[in-house]
Amino acid sequence: MVKKLTLLLSALIFSMAVLAADNHYVLGVDGLACPFCAYGIEKRLNKIEGVTDVQVDVGESVVRVALQEGKTLTDERARQAVDEAGFTLRSYSQAEGETGDGNEQ
Amino acid sequence: MKKIGQWLGYSVLGIAAILALLAWVGGAINRNQEPPYSLAQSWGEKGSGPGQLNDPTGIAVTDTEVFVSDARNGRIQVFDHEGSFKREFGTTGDGIGELGRSMNLTIHDEKLYVPEYMNDRIQVFSLAGQPLEIIGSPGEGPGQFNAPGGVAVADNGDLFVTDFYNQRVQHLRADGSFVKQWGTTGETAKGAGEFTYPTDVALADDGTLYVADGYGNRVQVFDAGGDFLRKWGGPFALGLYGPFKGWFTAATSIAMGPEGNVFVADFYNDRIQKFTAQGDYLTAFGSAPDNPGHTGMAVAIESDGTVWAVNFADNQVEKWEPVR
Repeated sequence: MVKKLTLLLSALIFSMAVLAADNHYVLGVDGLACPFCAYGIEKRLNKIEGVTDVQVDVGESVVRVALQEGKTLTDERARQAVDEAGFTLRSYSQAEGETGDGNEQ
Repeated sequence: MKKIGQWLGYSVLGIAAILALLAWVGGAINRNQEPPYSLAQSWGEKGSGPGQLNDPTGIAVTDTEVFVSDARNGRIQVFDHEGSFKREFGTTGDGIGELGRSMNLTIHDEKLYVPEYMNDRIQVFSLAGQPLEIIGSPGEGPGQFNAPGGVAVADNGDLFVTDFYNQRVQHLRADGSFVKQWGTTGETAKGAGEFTYPTDVALADDGTLYVADGYGNRVQVFDAGGDFLRKWGGPFALGLYGPFKGWFTAATSIAMGPEGNVFVADFYNDRIQKFTAQGDYLTAFGSAPDNPGHTGMAVAIESDGTVWAVNFADNQVEKWEPVR
């Protein structure tokens, strides 16, 4: 009985940890090599409630966005931020895992 | 039969004339009026230690020192002309003395003017690094900024600021009070005196104002009274981008040379282009990137004509000298 309870408790803790993990998104945006452009995207995305990290990957032409637990970035909100920065959102996807070491400052 | 021959001859001549005109407009037959510059020295690598850079976005130079916007590290780094690190100031933030992505730098009257992209302000420092003054605030009203990219300072202390996302250039008094603006706030346009993401400004000795109209892919010039004088960059300076001589693909920085020539950083073409004050193409030079991205980010001219630039993709400072 104790063993079953322990297993159940472990499973519950694991589930909560997964649910509490940050939400990560990958936005495809072309023409991000120039800092005047890339910083504009970062500036707008960082104003969205819950955003904890924004990284621009020039080589892959994507922006990786992390949001704190319980917060989400909708396709529509991402598109709006990218539009405001003067770009067009090429793709939008929710990603698994970490965004890396975080170079947003 | 003879008429057909004449007609064919005229047709060939006409087509050749049209092709030549297109080639001329396209820059394909625009020759260098001067030899290119040669790379005399470079230093820097990606990192956050002294002498390392993470997104160099601006540069200014005195007769003894080189000031570099080390944007992602939130600091200004100062080097001597041989590349030895001398000092740094600033840290990431939005308080006094802190920096939010410093961009094109300007030195005037022993003070360093730093446009801050993220903080929407111009911060003024002593050359030693002491914060002296903050000008502007976020917004689209008179004297406010939305991502300022460059600043020029007149002899009387007046400021001219490119207000990147507000699509305008503002003329302010030294205390930040508004005088006038060029461009329509928040609206891109391709007409004379209108802008498409302007990035930087430079003042000639006679007060003529040169604006790097960033994604307008051109330079626009205004006289000391503020009236439009001329523009150049691609065919009829209509905003077309391209790799040809005298064209731009994102003009990100502009500086005046000691003889009144104009130097423009042409980011996506990885080069600095040099023009006469009238906009005649003289020469171009730059580095191909070793890393993903592009190199021709910002330019500053020393009093002897030496050209200093920052190579964005490779996190380097570059010194270019005329080929004698």
